[in-house]
Amino acid sequence: MNIKDYIASGILEAYVLDQLSEKERMEVLQLTQAYPEIREELNKIESAFEELAFQTAITPGAHVKDKILSHLEQNEPYTPVKWSHKKVRSQTIGNAFRLALAASVSIALVASILAGVFWNKWKSTEDKLKGLLAQNQEIASEYNQVQQRLAQIESDLKVVNNPAFHRVRLQGTGQSPESEVQVYWNPSSQEVYLNVLKLQKLSEDNQYQLWAIIEGKPVDAGVFDLAISTLLKMKSVGNASAFAITIEPKGGSATPSLHTMQAIGNTEG
Amino acid sequence: MSDKFEGHIAPPELVALLQARNKAAFNYLYDHYSGALYGVILRIVQKQDIAEEVLQDVFLKIWNKIDTYDSQKGRLFTWMLNVSRNLAIDKVRSKELRNERKTDEMENNVYSYEHKSQVHQSIDSIGIKEQLDKLREEERTVLEYVYFKGYTQSELSKEKQIPLGTVKTRLRMAIKNLRNVLGIS
Repeated sequence: MNIKDYIASGILEAYVLDQLSEKERMEVLQLTQAYPEIREELNKIESAFEELAFQTAITPGAHVKDKILSHLEQNEPYTPVKWSHKKVRSQTIGNAFRLALAASVSIALVASILAGVFWNKWKSTEDKLKGLLAQNQEIASEYNQVQQRLAQIESDLKVVNNPAFHRVRLQGTGQSPESEVQVYWNPSSQEVYLNVLKLQKLSEDNQYQLWAIIEGKPVDAGVFDLAISTLLKMKSVGNASAFAITIEPKGGSATPSLHTMQAIGNTEG
Repeated sequence: MSDKFEGHIAPPELVALLQARNKAAFNYLYDHYSGALYGVILRIVQKQDIAEEVLQDVFLKIWNKIDTYDSQKGRLFTWMLNVSRNLAIDKVRSKELRNERKTDEMENNVYSYEHKSQVHQSIDSIGIKEQLDKLREEERTVLEYVYFKGYTQSELSKEKQIPLGTVKTRLRMAIKNLRNVLGIS
């Protein structure tokens, strides 16, 4: 069997989310023991759900734990429901029918064996087809993502290569000497793009804010988070003499908090 | 029950202690996992009082059914996650709640949980947005229906009129991309 097809079919994700029939579950379990690649993939899927749950955990009220513990003290384990079975009444069949019955049973048997053989053939072909279709879709999906990323890079490249854009280097300040950011600024079209090379991580409550210094006064040029790997379009700025970056509460501020200044750089006049 | 475990207990040891009916281990289990499981439950049932009820059922079930957990089949957390999801989804699907939801005009979207006012936590700590924002729209939808609403893949395929194979690969891509977002190589 082809392990890649099997993984691409998405069956392992369904296994982790407890969405398979008993038969499919057994199959996954057997394959997991036979193929380390499948075991490893399964492990990563489990990690993803575990990590997601822990990163988005919410602490329940303290009273819930008390309630559970007091339940434990009092309650017996759940008693399983017992099923009663009706006894099937045995029947006697008249002698006259025995022969006819035997004949029809033989015919049915042969027919069902043949049906079984063909069904298996059809089934395995269908499974193969499903595996290929799934793999095909996964590749198409990955291709789309690459395509989008490429389009982004191409548009970034146009900015970087355009001589009308001035590249302004923003260097770290005393409190964050490591910081490094580039601003691509086109004074005539007033477009501003940001390229973050290095900035420290922020807490959840804060965002970075870009300021353009215009006639000695800081003017808001937009807020941004760190999780960007491409050029970021900021607010339009006309005649800036410098750009600076500060840390502000989420959403940005009207005036910069100068003590949080992370980087600053002058435009070449 | 004054004795408590300090530090970390590895899941195999924890399971063995729970199977031996060790209540200190249960305490540890609750302290370490209740937040993660409650987050999942709350996003499914969307109501704090009901989520707390479900969480209670979940931990009682874990305690009572720990013997049925089989480490061959998967991690302890995965098992507990599915116990939580199944109980929470059953709750949402039970008629009484559905009626209540109708009259409440509850919003059905898991990502909008941030907007509910009844919650004590600060708004930012509830969000799951950050983790899911980086997925593509159609991947998010599949994850929402399968993970939070308990649809089977074939149910979702029928409901949204998407081929089953597409649902399967979208779920796979969603989780694959989620792994990148969460930093699992």
